[in-house]
Amino acid sequence: MLTTGFKLWFGFFVAAFSAAVFAGYTSGATETGPISLGWKGGVGNHVTYVLFVVAAAVFGLLGIVAVAFRDADSESVAEVLGVDTPPPAQTQVGSSIWPVLGALGVATLVVGLVVSSALFVVGLLILVAVSLEWTMTNWSERATGDPEVNSELRERLLRPVEIPILALAGIGVLVLAMSRVLLASSVNGAVLVAGAVGVCVFGAAFVFSRRPNISRRLVSTTLILSCVAVLVAGIVAAATGEREFHQQGGGSGGGHVEVDG
Amino acid sequence: MTETAADTTRTGDDVPTALEAAVTTTDHLRIGRAWIASGVLFLVASLVAGLLVSLERMDLSGMAVFGDADSLFRFWSAYRVGIVLLAVVPVVIGLATAVAPLQVGASSVVFPRAAAFGFWVWALGAAITVAGFLIDGGLGTPGGTSRTDAVALTLLGLLMVIGGICCATVCILTTIVVGRTAGMTLSRVPLFVWSVLVAGSIWLVTLPVLAANAVLIYVDLASRSAVAFGAEDTIWEQLSWAFSHPQVYAFALPLVGIAGDIVPVAARRRHGSHQALLVLTALLGVLSFGAYAQAAFDVGTPIREQAIFVVEAFLVVPLVLLVLFGLVDTLWRGAGSRRTRMPAPLYLSVLSVLFLLAGTVLGALRAVAPLDLLERSTTGAQFTFTIGAALLAAMAGTLWWGDLIVGRVAPQGFGLASALAVAVGVELVAVSDMISGFMGLADFTGGDLSGAGYPGSGVNVLNTVAFVGSVHLLIGALGWLVTGVVRFKGARSLGDTWGGHTLEWTTETVEVTSESPLLDAAVEVGA
Repeated sequence: MLTTGFKLWFGFFVAAFSAAVFAGYTSGATETGPISLGWKGGVGNHVTYVLFVVAAAVFGLLGIVAVAFRDADSESVAEVLGVDTPPPAQTQVGSSIWPVLGALGVATLVVGLVVSSALFVVGLLILVAVSLEWTMTNWSERATGDPEVNSELRERLLRPVEIPILALAGIGVLVLAMSRVLLASSVNGAVLVAGAVGVCVFGAAFVFSRRPNISRRLVSTTLILSCVAVLVAGIVAAATGEREFHQQGGGSGGGHVEVDG
Repeated sequence: MTETAADTTRTGDDVPTALEAAVTTTDHLRIGRAWIASGVLFLVASLVAGLLVSLERMDLSGMAVFGDADSLFRFWSAYRVGIVLLAVVPVVIGLATAVAPLQVGASSVVFPRAAAFGFWVWALGAAITVAGFLIDGGLGTPGGTSRTDAVALTLLGLLMVIGGICCATVCILTTIVVGRTAGMTLSRVPLFVWSVLVAGSIWLVTLPVLAANAVLIYVDLASRSAVAFGAEDTIWEQLSWAFSHPQVYAFALPLVGIAGDIVPVAARRRHGSHQALLVLTALLGVLSFGAYAQAAFDVGTPIREQAIFVVEAFLVVPLVLLVLFGLVDTLWRGAGSRRTRMPAPLYLSVLSVLFLLAGTVLGALRAVAPLDLLERSTTGAQFTFTIGAALLAAMAGTLWWGDLIVGRVAPQGFGLASALAVAVGVELVAVSDMISGFMGLADFTGGDLSGAGYPGSGVNVLNTVAFVGSVHLLIGALGWLVTGVVRFKGARSLGDTWGGHTLEWTTETVEVTSESPLLDAAVEVGA
């Protein structure tokens, strides 16, 4: 039985090859050249002809692959998944953060092209991460016929990668932001800021630990808002610049640094 | 409503906040709403730009508003790009994302995550494009008062806008092609679905060409010393084909489908020949392919003087006339059975086809070489008529399907009043621009005031009329925005507002046995 995918690619194959023959005969082809791939006669404009023939070959190959692997064939899908009835062709998908993150990645990359190469790299990294996550999510949704098993599969594969990377990235960004804030503050100010942040972290942890029934949303909102506050403070501090440092002493190892109080 | 399972089955802490739901949704109705809302907001922004340009044109002897020609050009081009790619097309995509899957019996749009991705890419791209225009970038000449990096940012934003539109279009078209319910053959699909299929196909083969133009200009701009195609000095010349005849018809094409779906339900009669309307829509689509008409790359005979351009311009007119006759015929035959009070979207959709007809007639006149109208303000008039027609149809569409998309009822009278303000605005701007064009007024009047036209001949009066039209357009767009906001606070919709028994209003999958989009129940009502 011919699968839907095969029919689509075969249609493209016929269209591309017909276009090649048409382009050949309207650009000076002779005898049966365009039909016989140049075996008997000329093919006309070589560039156009070759482009269309290559396109036809690619479409034809995709058609063969589609039919060979029973692409979109419901009975084959049911057999592979080990279920009696094939799952619906169009499955409902839940909410997903990847589309908006992917778009943010594209936007960062685009703005980075104009503003700075560092931003471009950040955009590229976001896009790579989103592509991986999105691909794995899509794969896991069709891995078996059981949605719960599929979800577990995804968690088992991606969580060991996601958590350390996100933790590293989060810690790195927070440390960088805090260091910018401390470097931008005066000597005494930096001590005050570090102390205040430490007290806040300790206080919040104490409150959360004393109230185990506190809602997860409140905890996550508090954490997100705190991280955003540190991030914004870091960006502002980076834009403001570091306080002045004065290098004293002559040699490479003997000098020491004095700072403006 | 077809909220996805994951959207509706959460409880307690897992229930997403409104912001989370809006940002992470893959539900086609929510995505459709997001497209429409963003499109209307950008429409208001584009119309403000248009209003400022109209204000400047009221006195051709100086630069009272913008100060220099580059700034004027920046806003002039922002208006044209914005109203098409940031307003009309997104609203149509929003309608299609929300309604088309239901009209073909699919439970949702195919590739829902990609559909959401398309929206976000477009939205962020639109924001970047607008930012580019506002920070002295836009599509102006970098050597003038425009900043090179800001121009580059505008071009990259435009690329994202095109990418987002193409991504969303692919999702909609795939839904139409592979997501149809049993019995829903392509010859039976509702006209709106068909018109989106045709228009979307044209967008997919032409917008990448526009993207290629933008890339060429960007490369020239970014690597000026190494590469010099000369593209950066003629930015608008390379992009303008997308905003004039015949490509502009491709953006307006879904109006045929909107009118084609509203008229039979309002008239309680099926179209005399659904198939004929399908063929006419397809032919209009073929004739609206405009990626070839790039005057910037003219070699030998200018493309706009070649037979294909002229014949295409004239062929479009009878096709639109035939579509209009088809709609009037349906209304005429249904005169005895239609309701006493006609729904507001009916007036708007028929008016939109009339505006499109006016646009195509002007397009045909522009193609007549002895009239020398190609660079005159008739170009703007044709643009206003055609895109104004699409805008009216989009307003009609949101009034027609709004109850379905939002699930709540809006005041039809206020919506009609807003749309009529837009219609009056389109009429005033387009007619005054058309007459000014015949009197010799240039399409863009800021570059060379001496070449702008004949200030003493009365064009200043006409430009004042055009300004009044621009005010009407802005008021109408604001009214549309208010209608949408009011709808969210309105009473819950009871479903099938218009009693047409069409597929999009049904809540369960049905097998289609009727040869026409209106189901048998509707015919019984009308019989």
